[in-house]
Amino acid sequence: MLRIITCQHATMLLEQQADQLVPRPLRASLWLHLRYCPYCGRYAKQTVQIAEWARAAGAARAGPGLPAAAKERMRQRLSA
Amino acid sequence: MTPAPPVPAQWPGRYGDELYRFALSRVADADVAEELVQETFLSALDGLATFRAEASERTWLFVILRRKIIDHYRRQARVSYVGLDEISEAGPTEADYFAPENGHWTGQQAPASWLNADADLEQQELHTILQRCQERLPKQHGAVFAMRFVEELSAEEICQELALTAANYWVIVHRAKLQLRRCLEKHGLGKN
Repeated sequence: MLRIITCQHATMLLEQQADQLVPRPLRASLWLHLRYCPYCGRYAKQTVQIAEWARAAGAARAGPGLPAAAKERMRQRLSA
Repeated sequence: MTPAPPVPAQWPGRYGDELYRFALSRVADADVAEELVQETFLSALDGLATFRAEASERTWLFVILRRKIIDHYRRQARVSYVGLDEISEAGPTEADYFAPENGHWTGQQAPASWLNADADLEQQELHTILQRCQERLPKQHGAVFAMRFVEELSAEEICQELALTAANYWVIVHRAKLQLRRCLEKHGLGKN
């Protein structure tokens, strides 16, 4: 049966939905809430974007290398 | 042909830069990243006998580094460990975003539409903003977020690593996302 849910509940369900933890009746309530709440609709898209950007940022490998002094220090420790 | 046995003294020169960049993309702090790389090499040296030639040396070192990074998140989360009742003291709570009387977004916190960030911002700029916002999360929230969304561990693995209950874990994920969303919006993504 459809239940009226709040934005607080809906946003929590959106997080859990990504792990497929939301039972069917609640999924229907969430769907209904998202149809009528533009803010939660935006949250639904943005929370997915945040997860995608975090993954992409973790995969990006640009940037400085290990400082030469640290390399030398580690080389000495590993040679000892 | 049998691959040459590992020569530990050559690791910093061969793999140091790559491992360091990987660590730095996770922990942001250069000193911590350096320490993680050093710990990786030392652990590898201790475990040299367990190295199997069929895996590449590089892959083996990355596996060790990844474990070191997860240990780092765990220490970070434990230092600031708080129980469910006390989480409110560790940063913004639901009451900062939703009206207590009806559970709906409070006016100022309601999500605005965002710029088409993928098109309008350089990827590097986007990553920098996200990283800064992640650094502002309470330590425990930051650790849970990184383990889930950067390292892509399962909820079950994170709860086990950090000794969290499932309920506690979901409260933290929810609050971390609310806070990050708000931070990103304030720092360049919001249209309004």
